[in-house]
Amino acid sequence: MLNNINIAGLSEYANEVKQQNIQGKASYGVKLNWESGTKTTVSTKNMVLGEHKLVRDFKFTIDEPNQLLGINAAPNPAEYMLGGMAGCMAVTFMTGATAMNIEIDQLKLEIDGELDLQGFLGLNPDVNPGFPKLKFIFHVKGNGTQEQYEKLMERVTMHSPNYNTIKNEVRLIGKLIS
Amino acid sequence: MKKSYQGIEQKRDEGNIWFNDLKRKRTQGPTLSTNRYENCKISTKSIHAGQYDDPTTGALGTPIFQCSTFYLNRSSYEAIEEGRGRDEMIYTRYGNPSQWSVQEKLSALENAESSIVFSSGMAAISTAILGMLDKGSHVVSSRDIYGGTYNFLHEDLDKFGMSVTFTSPTDIEDIEAAIQDNTKILYFESLTNPLLKITPIKAIVALGKKYNLRVIIDNTFLTPYNITPLDLGVDLVVNSASKYLNGHSDLIGGTVSGSRKLVDRLWPQMLKNGGSMDPHACFLLERSLKTFALRMRTHNANAFTLATYLENHSNINKVYYPGLASHDQHELAKHQLKGKNSGMISFEIKGGDENAHALLEFLKLPKEATSLGGVESLISLPYNTSQASLTKEQQKAIGINDGLIRLSVGVEDIEDLISDFEHALHSIFKKQTNYA
Repeated sequence: MLNNINIAGLSEYANEVKQQNIQGKASYGVKLNWESGTKTTVSTKNMVLGEHKLVRDFKFTIDEPNQLLGINAAPNPAEYMLGGMAGCMAVTFMTGATAMNIEIDQLKLEIDGELDLQGFLGLNPDVNPGFPKLKFIFHVKGNGTQEQYEKLMERVTMHSPNYNTIKNEVRLIGKLIS
Repeated sequence: MKKSYQGIEQKRDEGNIWFNDLKRKRTQGPTLSTNRYENCKISTKSIHAGQYDDPTTGALGTPIFQCSTFYLNRSSYEAIEEGRGRDEMIYTRYGNPSQWSVQEKLSALENAESSIVFSSGMAAISTAILGMLDKGSHVVSSRDIYGGTYNFLHEDLDKFGMSVTFTSPTDIEDIEAAIQDNTKILYFESLTNPLLKITPIKAIVALGKKYNLRVIIDNTFLTPYNITPLDLGVDLVVNSASKYLNGHSDLIGGTVSGSRKLVDRLWPQMLKNGGSMDPHACFLLERSLKTFALRMRTHNANAFTLATYLENHSNINKVYYPGLASHDQHELAKHQLKGKNSGMISFEIKGGDENAHALLEFLKLPKEATSLGGVESLISLPYNTSQASLTKEQQKAIGINDGLIRLSVGVEDIEDLISDFEHALHSIFKKQTNYA
C-alpha cells in the first residue's frame, strides 16, 4: 500500500459518510485525574463512531518541568497540545499525499510557540495567557513536487480537525460538580 | 474492478483532489460476477448462487482452482497499492476463485453482503472476535456456548488484554447486567448445546443498539435454513461449516457473513491468523451446499417426528426440542424460527447415564460420534464429551442431568430411525422391568 495507507478503505468510508452522515460523527473524550503536585494522568474515554463504540484503553501522564514546580516526569500540557495538533496535521498530510499518489519518504513536523507567563501568573491583565502565535514547519522528502506539497499544506490547514480547533473559536462549556 | 480514482485520474495527477473526490464505494462480494439469485428461495440459491461456469471450456459448475498463487499484472499491482487486495486474485490465502464462489453462495443464503470461508469453525470464530475487538475491550457471552469458543474466550482473551463475562443465553436482564463500559461485543449462539435453548436474538440486538455494541451470532445449530440472524439486525453470523452446511461429516470449515464493511475488517485478521480455506475444501463445501435446503428439510422433519416419538415414550423422561409445545421457549421458537425447527434433539433416558450408554450401543443407525449436522444421525452424551470438563454437580447446575443424550438427526428414512429407537429402547427396558 502506498505510504502504508489504505486509500481504497478511505474512499469507501468517505462515500459511506456521503450517504449516511451519521457514520462521520465521532465523539471523543478524556478523563484527567490529579496525582500529586503538577502531575496528572489522562485516560481516554471510549469513542462512538457512527453508532458503535470504540474502546479506547489508553493512559498518559502529564507533568511540568522542575523550574515550573513539577518533577519533570512527563511532557507538559502545552507539549501535549502541540503534539496533538502536529499528529493530526501529519495524518491529514499523509492521507492527502496518498490520495494524490505521492510517495513520502520522510515527514517531520516542527511546531514552536512562545508563552508569556505573566498572563498565567496574573501579573499583567493585558497579556494573553495563551499562545498568541504558533509557527509550524513541514520537512518533507518524497516524489512530489514543491507545488504539490504546498497544496497539501493548504489542505492540512483546511481539513485537519485539531489545527482547526486551535485556529477557530471553540465554545467551551464548563460546569462544576463538588 | 472499481478503482478509487476512476474518472478523476487527471485531477489526481494535478494534485487537486481530496477525499470527497474519491470514487470507490463498497460493493457486495468479492465476486466473480456470478449470480446470487437474490429474488429466489433457499433451494434455488443453494443450487445456483455463486456458481462460476468457466467461459472458455463451457464446463458447468465451479472448477477447483487448486493453486497457491496467481499471475501478477497491472491490475493486481494497483490493487496492492490502493489497499483493495481483497478484490483481486493475488495469493490463495488472500482470495481464490473457489473461495469466492462458495462465499457468494453463503452470502446468498445468509442475506449478507460479504462472507469469508475459513479452514475451521474455530478459525472463523477466533478471527471474527479478534477482528472486532479493540485493545482493552470486553465480551459478553454465554456459559452454554461451544467448548472451543468458551476456551478461546476464557483462556486466550486475557493474553490480548481483553476480557469476557459469561451469562445466561436467554435472560436479557442477566445479559444487560454484564455489559461494562468497555464491552464491545455480545457473542451468542442461536441454539445452545446441548439443552437447545433459543437465544432471543431480537432482544439481544436491541441491547446492542442501546449500548452501541456489535452482536455476533454462531448459527451452527440452526443454519440459515432455519433462521437468518442478519435479517434480525445481527452484525456478523458465524458457522461451523463442518456441520450442516457441508453436511457429510467429511470436511472441516468455518464461515463468517455480514456487511461488506465489517467482513472487510475481518479479512486482514484472517490473513494474520492464517485460517484460510483450501480450494479443494471450498469445492466440497460448495458442492454439498447444493443439497443444503433439501437436506435441512429432512433433518427438520425427521427431528420433529422423532422428538414427538421420544416424548411419547414411557422410558424417556424429557425431550428438549424447540418444535415441541413442551419446550420452555416454544412460543419464542415459533416466532423466531417462523415455523422452522432444528435437526437437533436432546433427551433424558430413564435409568441415567448407564442406560444412555446402553442405548448408544443398541442403536444401529445413529453413529456414536461427536459433531453434528451430517446426513447420518450422530449421537453422543454431553457428560463425557462437550461438558466433560465439568464435575457432575456443575453439570447438574447447568441442567445436564443424568441420562442426557444429544442426537443430531440425520436424513435416513424416519421409519427406519423410529424402528431403530423402538428396538433399542425395548432391548434396554425389557430387562429392567422397574423402569417400564
